[in-house]
Amino acid sequence: MRMVRTAVFLAVAASSSLGAQTKINRGLPLNADGAIRIYNSVGSVRVVGWNRDSVAIRGVLGKGTTLHMGGGGAGMKMFVEGTDERNPAPANIEVSVPARAKVWVKTATADIEVTGVTGSLDLYVVGGRITVNGSPADVNAEAIDGSIRVVGSPGWMRAKSASGDVTLDGSSADVTISTVSGKIDADGTGFDKAKFETVTGSIRFAGSFRRGGLVNFDTHSGSVEVGLSSGSPADFDVVSIAGPITNKLTSTRPAAGRYGRGAELITSSANGGTRVQIRSFKGPISLIRLD
Amino acid sequence: MTDDILDEDRIRDLEARIAQLPREIEPPAGAWTAIKSEIARKGDARIGRAGFWQQPAFLAAAALLLVTGSSAITAIALGRRAPSETAPGVAARDGARPTATPATLAEFTVVENDYISTANRLSAILESEETQLTPETIMKLKESLRVIDAAILEARRALAADPANKQLVEMLSTSYNQKLDLLRRTTEMGRS
Repeated sequence: MRMVRTAVFLAVAASSSLGAQTKINRGLPLNADGAIRIYNSVGSVRVVGWNRDSVAIRGVLGKGTTLHMGGGGAGMKMFVEGTDERNPAPANIEVSVPARAKVWVKTATADIEVTGVTGSLDLYVVGGRITVNGSPADVNAEAIDGSIRVVGSPGWMRAKSASGDVTLDGSSADVTISTVSGKIDADGTGFDKAKFETVTGSIRFAGSFRRGGLVNFDTHSGSVEVGLSSGSPADFDVVSIAGPITNKLTSTRPAAGRYGRGAELITSSANGGTRVQIRSFKGPISLIRLD
Repeated sequence: MTDDILDEDRIRDLEARIAQLPREIEPPAGAWTAIKSEIARKGDARIGRAGFWQQPAFLAAAALLLVTGSSAITAIALGRRAPSETAPGVAARDGARPTATPATLAEFTVVENDYISTANRLSAILESEETQLTPETIMKLKESLRVIDAAILEARRALAADPANKQLVEMLSTSYNQKLDLLRRTTEMGRS
């Protein structure tokens, strides 16, 4: 596959020096809503949205690496290739793209940072960090053991990591965050349809829900802490098979589980209106008031 | 409710009686001669033209009916095997939940086989492509899979002790889905 890509891109590729690190500074036209795909295994990728119909790439390529790029106004690709695939030298690149562009980035351990893009984001790392600042139309971010942090208000968000932590600081009408052992930390408002799930990681939510929404929290053994501001509507359906439930949000006390063990809690805050389901096998669950 | 279907004594008795049956029996004396004469009486034309029950369309419909019926019987049997212990109010609340998750251990067992076979298939793909990932990533991936497997095992044991607990079934389904999702994502990540 890599051979094919190399062959296709050689015509427009600008090779770096095979010696020490090489600085790059290149550009290509791209439509305001064009698509761009970036692959860089090691190092870092910084993507910045700007108000131009073009792409500019600046950065430093490590020894023995080459940047290949090409495409047209509707879509373009670029990738960094090293001569030593098992131990590639890092490449640190910054790519300025039209703000409304559809951006796809994939790395192995390279960190990804995206700022000021209002189009779609598809971001994949194995072990690097993903950071998104701003309000893209949608974000799909996936990691194996890397962390994911979103600061802003994406219209739609999916973030998954296994052992990495996932943080959302902002708001999103439609969000799904999933980890295996990584922590989930969501701080914000305007959650309409939301799902937070982990196996052993902890979940901490602080903020408010939109009336009429549907919000789910699922854990096996991690703790779940849901903190709501006083005006946030919620109809809670809380079930724990073997873990404790603590309610400091309303006056309702948890009851014994319907199957003869565990605990359950049915309660509402701010006259209800948003369905909130919390399920835990043995992780402790806490509902708290933020103000 | 389940005893009339799964009475272990009756099953053992039935197995014992089956074991005593001869493995093969001879047809009654003169049977073949009678068959041949009957065929000859009905004539070659009748033999050459298959009856409606031998037409491909009828056979296909019959096969479909057999499969559907078999599945229905299985579903009914599984449903009967699960004691109905759902607490009052659960049905109403779950009615609003858009989920097709099985409600009991018996029903889940059928789905679980699919989960396991899919996980095995993805694991095999991943193993064959392991060189695409660094040893550190593989180590962390395996650790994450161990975490999920431990959660599955724990929930599975709890469900075995409490087979009608729908909450446990849902938790177990969630854990399996997380495992499949992780395997799928890792497999795709490795294909850079």
